[in-house]
Amino acid sequence: MDETKSNPEPLDEVTAGRLAQLEDYIMKNCLWQFHSRSWDRRVQNEGILSKTTQILCGEPVDTGTPLDRCHWADAVVMAEEFQRRCPWLTEMPKDEVKALMDALHKHLDYILIDGSLNLELTDQHY
Amino acid sequence: MPYHEFECSKCIPERKKHAVVKGHGEDLTSALPLGYLNTIPGTISERGCAYCGAKHVIGTPMKDVIHLSHGPLGCTYDTWQTKRYISDNDNFQIKYTFATDMKEKNVVFGAEKLLKQNILEAFKAFPKIKRMTIYQTCASALIGDDLNAIAAEVMEEMPEVDIFVCNSPGFGGPSQSGGHHKINIAWVNQKVGTLEPKEITSDYVINYVGEYNIQGDQEVMMDFFKRMGVQVLSTFTGNGTYDDLRCMHRAQLNVLECARSAEYICNELRVRYGIPRLDIDGFGFEPLGNSLRKIGLFFGIEDRAQAIIDEETARWKPELDWYKARLMHKKVCLWPGGSKLWHWAHVIHAEMGVDVVSVYTKFGHQGDMEKGISRCEEGALAIDDPNELEGLEAMETLEPDIIFTGKRPGEVAKKIRVPYLNAHAYHNGPWKGWEGWVRFARDIYNAIFSPIHELAKLDISKDEIPGDCGFKTQRMLSDANLPDEVRNDPTLRQYTGKFDCLKDLRGKTYPVFERKTAAAPAAAAV
Ligand code: SF4
Repeated sequence: MDETKSNPEPLDEVTAGRLAQLEDYIMKNCLWQFHSRSWDRRVQNEGILSKTTQILCGEPVDTGTPLDRCHWADAVVMAEEFQRRCPWLTEMPKDEVKALMDALHKHLDYILIDGSLNLELTDQHY
Repeated sequence: MPYHEFECSKCIPERKKHAVVKGHGEDLTSALPLGYLNTIPGTISERGCAYCGAKHVIGTPMKDVIHLSHGPLGCTYDTWQTKRYISDNDNFQIKYTFATDMKEKNVVFGAEKLLKQNILEAFKAFPKIKRMTIYQTCASALIGDDLNAIAAEVMEEMPEVDIFVCNSPGFGGPSQSGGHHKINIAWVNQKVGTLEPKEITSDYVINYVGEYNIQGDQEVMMDFFKRMGVQVLSTFTGNGTYDDLRCMHRAQLNVLECARSAEYICNELRVRYGIPRLDIDGFGFEPLGNSLRKIGLFFGIEDRAQAIIDEETARWKPELDWYKARLMHKKVCLWPGGSKLWHWAHVIHAEMGVDVVSVYTKFGHQGDMEKGISRCEEGALAIDDPNELEGLEAMETLEPDIIFTGKRPGEVAKKIRVPYLNAHAYHNGPWKGWEGWVRFARDIYNAIFSPIHELAKLDISKDEIPGDCGFKTQRMLSDANLPDEVRNDPTLRQYTGKFDCLKDLRGKTYPVFERKTAAAPAAAAV
């Protein structure tokens, strides 16, 4: 099987539970992750999740280009919602937040791109 | 894969992969039906054609335009009586419908002359209108009429007019969605960038895309944008003007509502002009609030968005909650055409308390099902391109209290005593905005607890007709099992808005915000 198509490594129970809470918020409330092509989805996942991580960790966020600003707007709202719904997140050390967000990123890449059943994702045109 | 096979479709085995049940622990890698494929022979689809998607969905909501179909009269069927994309110019675009009325003789001898004559006659009949769209249909496509050549000829003879040609015949795709795609691409290729905006009035300029002003939705959203000091350069296409839509390349942000019908133009504008695309939800208190906040954040004016959220929530929340208390756990089949399956799936559950037991889409792609399935709760039955028998079977097994769908399947539902609301054209819209969302809740309440509907459930040919009780009012039906403290909660109330909630918006004045940048000539403003 193609390496990129396998589900990321299983996580311990606590991490898996936390990741599921964040994933549930995204899948129920966000739209940014559903662009219509694989390459678009990768750009969206990378842009918005990395900015969300930076916001959660109190790090500076690049808002230089219009696309950056657009990703940042989605990320700000999402980071706030994460903190509101998951109080444990505010007490988490930065490196753990980063590890969790990284696992979330990998998981979303899998369910939305590499493991997706959506046959249109690989269409060469819009 | 948790596919669902309908009893009635066992004779069409290909249908099995078009329905799934979202089970416990399922995600999109295990539960996703096929979608956007040619309708399987033998299944009587409820879809529209690609011409319909281009003209009746996207083209015609443009308000200052003569919309002319080049084909038989019947293709123009969908107009005043089925479509409700109103406009603030007395609904010119749906009040008048134009077709060249092609006949057999035109099929044999060609219809280009007929087309030209029709174009000239239409401009003559409406001398104030200088813009036109022409739509190819199956008949004119099959005989090979060159619509572009005729349009160019007329534009040369009448330099004051501008004409857009949409070559999206009925057979040009599996469903109306093929037409959405074609007209998006045709518009960006032919018209975007051919005109500069008359005036840039704000530092914050957007295109509002994939919004069709159903019963005034666009006007409700415009009110919020104006209160935020955001200039809407164009609306694609509800209540939008032809010339504004030629200026789309000058916006700073594309705010995308119905991604199903209009993501293509946003994607192209992003690639060609670097304008980012922000997908939003205009329905529901929280999703709409977050959407306005994101637009505010993009421009650095989130405080203006927050002020609107606070004001609107305080005004309308007690009314939404009155309905929520009465709609708790009512079962809904959410069966719209495309985008509403995901715009509504989670938020009617969260904010109105109803349970979505099934989602379907007539013309959605797998991407729409991804969104819909993600947003609905476990156990929901998701169906792609259902046929009428499958719809009936699903209603019989799921026993919904109401379905949200189009008027044709809605009439079928009524026959088996299931009330329906018109998901495409609405009942008493607008349904966008905070007030609109309460109007939607009121429509659901009125449909489920209709005393007349209650009477209709009795079949006088076989049921015993109770003679010992009087007529049950809505409140007797809806409040029967409510605890006293909810029934008499003084903080909650029914809808108190006006019958026509658009009238005041049309004459409203807005605050003038100081600009950061000096007003620049429009072309150099971005
Ligand atoms: S399928 Fe063809 S003939 Fe029928 S309405 Fe559509 S364009 Fe007209």
